[in-house]
Amino acid sequence: MDLSYKVNDSYAEISAAGRLNMVSAPKLREMVAEVVAAGSARIVLNLEETAFMDSSGLGALIGCLKAARQAGGDLRIAAVQPQVQMVLGLTSMDKVLTSYPSAAEAFGND
Amino acid sequence: MTDVLARRTLRQTAEPAAIDAVHEELDGLWDDASFVPELDRMTFATAVIEAASNVVQHAVPETATPVELGVDISATSVRLEALVSAFGAACPDPLDGDAPMPDGEAESGRGLALIRALVTTVTFKRQDGTNTWTLSKSPLHD
Repeated sequence: MDLSYKVNDSYAEISAAGRLNMVSAPKLREMVAEVVAAGSARIVLNLEETAFMDSSGLGALIGCLKAARQAGGDLRIAAVQPQVQMVLGLTSMDKVLTSYPSAAEAFGND
Repeated sequence: MTDVLARRTLRQTAEPAAIDAVHEELDGLWDDASFVPELDRMTFATAVIEAASNVVQHAVPETATPVELGVDISATSVRLEALVSAFGAACPDPLDGDAPMPDGEAESGRGLALIRALVTTVTFKRQDGTNTWTLSKSPLHD
């Protein structure tokens, strides 16, 4: 999985391309910790190029959500693809992790 | 019995790199079984990766020899089946077959519940130092 981030005016956007699984989940946790430590707790995770996620990846998303909220911010997900949406739905985590059509819309109204 | 129309197998040391190899075998299976609808591919592949990841993360060697992950996936016209094996592994703790999906705060513990939600049947067998989970999904959608 390739991870990259950029900091905008009101949020940081992390892009994740590839498979979010037991191999890449720790790398995502590290990157979110790094972004939060740098002062950006409002984070959008752009999943447009994330074709696959398993329960390890989902666990990382939840850990990252907690890290962002503990720092006074939030983590939102955007451009969710069908397989990832399926995993979120089957685990009822779609109620906890709200998804937005695009990264720009995730913090669009606040 | 319905003929197997496509099959892929692998066996290698149970380490994280093996998960990418399982993804590649699944892609290869779909190349040969193009009749399988996209939704079935997605659900079955997710279940197989969950089971294989479980072996890599949790299987304990029975001797000094590392555990090997084995995956045998096949497709007939009406059924997808995966045998996911941990060769040389100790017998695992009994699985709680009815373990519920954890709540929203939990960061782990969803794997087995997810597998059960994705496939039709899940069975476990211990034989000759090998633990094998069989996942099957049928019938295929139109």
